[in-house]
Amino acid sequence: MAIHRSGARRPVGTGRHDPWARGLVDQPVVFALNVCLRGIVKRLLVLWTGLSIATVLWAEDKPVLTWQPLPGSPSNYRVEVSGLGAEMWARLKSERDQGIEPERWLSVRVVPKDLLKALDVPAMGGRFDFAPEKAYLRFEPDYALEPGLRYEAVFRAGDLLPVRATLSIPNHPEGPPTRVLSIYPSSEVLPENLLKFYLVFSGSMSRGHIYDFIELRDEWGKTVEIPFLEIDEELWDAAQTRLTLFIDPGRIKRGVKPLEEVGPAIKAGRRYSLRIDSKWPDAQGRPLAAPALKTFRVAPPDRTPIDPLTWRLATPRAGTRDPLVVRFGEPLDFGLAGRLLSIRRAGNAEIAGRAELHALESEWRWIPDQPWLAGCGVIRVPSILEDLAGNNVGKAFEVDVFEKVDRNSVPGRNEISFEIR
Amino acid sequence: MKKYFSLLAGSFLAIAAVGASWTEGMVSGKVELKSIGPLAFGPDGVLLMADAKSAALVALDTQDRVPAPASAQVHVKGLNQKIAGLLGTEAEQVLINDLAVNPISRKVYVAVSRGRGPEASAVLVRVHHEGRIEAVSLENVKHSRATLPNPPADAMVGQGQRQSNPRLESITDLAFVDGRVVVAGLSNEEFASTLRALPFPFQTAGKGTSVEIYHGAHGAFETRSPIRTFVQFKVEGEDHLLAAYTCTPLVQFPLKELQPGAKIRGKTIAELGNRNRPLDMIAYHKGGKDYLLLANSSRGIMKIDTTDIAKSESITSRVADKQGLAYETIEAWKGVDQLDRFDASQALVLRKAEGGALDLDSLPLP
Repeated sequence: MAIHRSGARRPVGTGRHDPWARGLVDQPVVFALNVCLRGIVKRLLVLWTGLSIATVLWAEDKPVLTWQPLPGSPSNYRVEVSGLGAEMWARLKSERDQGIEPERWLSVRVVPKDLLKALDVPAMGGRFDFAPEKAYLRFEPDYALEPGLRYEAVFRAGDLLPVRATLSIPNHPEGPPTRVLSIYPSSEVLPENLLKFYLVFSGSMSRGHIYDFIELRDEWGKTVEIPFLEIDEELWDAAQTRLTLFIDPGRIKRGVKPLEEVGPAIKAGRRYSLRIDSKWPDAQGRPLAAPALKTFRVAPPDRTPIDPLTWRLATPRAGTRDPLVVRFGEPLDFGLAGRLLSIRRAGNAEIAGRAELHALESEWRWIPDQPWLAGCGVIRVPSILEDLAGNNVGKAFEVDVFEKVDRNSVPGRNEISFEIR
Repeated sequence: MKKYFSLLAGSFLAIAAVGASWTEGMVSGKVELKSIGPLAFGPDGVLLMADAKSAALVALDTQDRVPAPASAQVHVKGLNQKIAGLLGTEAEQVLINDLAVNPISRKVYVAVSRGRGPEASAVLVRVHHEGRIEAVSLENVKHSRATLPNPPADAMVGQGQRQSNPRLESITDLAFVDGRVVVAGLSNEEFASTLRALPFPFQTAGKGTSVEIYHGAHGAFETRSPIRTFVQFKVEGEDHLLAAYTCTPLVQFPLKELQPGAKIRGKTIAELGNRNRPLDMIAYHKGGKDYLLLANSSRGIMKIDTTDIAKSESITSRVADKQGLAYETIEAWKGVDQLDRFDASQALVLRKAEGGALDLDSLPLP
């Protein structure tokens, strides 16, 4: 295609004053110069416009950068470069053969909310698929893109102007906000040497900063200083819906500095409140539906081991699905009492069913899937069962070394017999 | 957490004598990680990674065995922000769970969670001396795996309910010690010390031995309190573990007692005091003396002179303060989040900087 050129017209206002026609500068000189400059500018403008149009129409390289969704997740994308001419693909292949990595040409970065930090953001890791014979270059990030973030892909090669394409990943659809379902122990009276709380949430929570959102206050509203065992790992269940919060054992165990110097985290005779801040983000980054609060009164320390021989049983009648009820006489640890106790028929056969805790975790009920059969059975009580103060079966949380206590031998306390009639 | 353990010559010789290899029993394939926690290097570029969600340990052959130059250092400003960029997320969504220095190449390996929810990805990141960072591919690599026991939900015998066992055991520290991998854990239910020793290379049978360690402080009362962090240490030529407990005493016990089913009584040699939680510990030798460097939550870095560790009496009586080994606080090292030994003369620290950044620096040992 021909280049559109402007005609070789003379500047406006030429004629007899035309300096080009006559080879001299006529009167008035200023007017003539003006006319001359205007003419040059106009010619250049026309020439530039023409060249630009020609470049666009003639160029073989029309790079196109596209974000292409991938199957599997709505956040899975890849970036593809296409639209380059054969000459450019050959040039890139040559550079590639010389060891130039495709990341030199194509990169994907998170667009930071603070644009001043944009220069510091390194390119995202991922896999390149360079296929000059098929006329494409692709990049697939190693990770799904994050909802709520914006990403920018940039292609730079040869003397081409950089080409950019951005993509914003929409936030998760809003579901019901997460809330605190329960705080264990359920009792409103807790021993001074209480070992732990369990927080149960309606949905998955975020980890890595839990202690910013949990506070223990005394009855005057004063914050208790570092009452919890703060560990980076944070003791969640796999779904991050249940958090175990240990009281700092240094403030429970007698004879260690924290207890001697600053005393117990909670003191007998006083009232406290455990407060959960609603700003605590759930796994999707949303705040909790509401703050949560548990108030309690503190009783003297409990240093008595668990003794299953003192438990009381209520056995159901054969042929019913009524629960088998065990009353501990004190609240036991929510997590362990709910999981550890098991039931067997005489001869060790399993009895299918489910366990429930009631009466402020002081009562265990077993509800069989099938009606009870007449006969004998046992409830197994592992020694590691704990009460609210971490006392085990037959063994207190702390063992006085001057009393020769055999720590593991607990004769007759690990099985409780029962009979269904 | 992170450990640098000089390899014991005896272990090397023993392995060489039987013609075995530290990568024996490893298979090539994808490493499946549900989580990534404490890291520790074993011999010959083998990296041990704890995956608490899977109740497993993974040994990875990094094939990173080119010795570092003597002048090696590492300095990375805003490591968390750079990792976030590499992983295509925000720094707020990056949790650095641990780091470990390869004692051969001095490259830094970082255990990272991408995301804060239960679906967070476990990522292993490598930091080169010049500051370049890269995600270590776990797609087709030589590795082996050992599973730690996680008791099933005994009472939940109804259909489908066994899968919802809420018990999970966090791994608070691990180290390669004299041909064994020693692992300290803390359950989200029972409060007890679970210290296990697994033979390495991992064997298919056996899940490691669990030992009970009791320790007293000021005498009378012993508990099975969980161990927070520990380090291998020689006392009068004999290998010991020094363990920092969650209730703050520093306890010493001989490694040879770490036997199946053993009940060990540790010797309390120092107390770290209140408002304090131990984070990381390294041992080193400088100027003819042995020291411990202990990072903790409130007192900065504590430097403990262990010259008199053999002579020190177990703390058995109630005293006002400062019983046990003396320590000094290294004021210049503020905000240390992670600590490891970089080489014979440098420590590696990850420190909090302005604007939520975490800076990684090798620093001369104090």
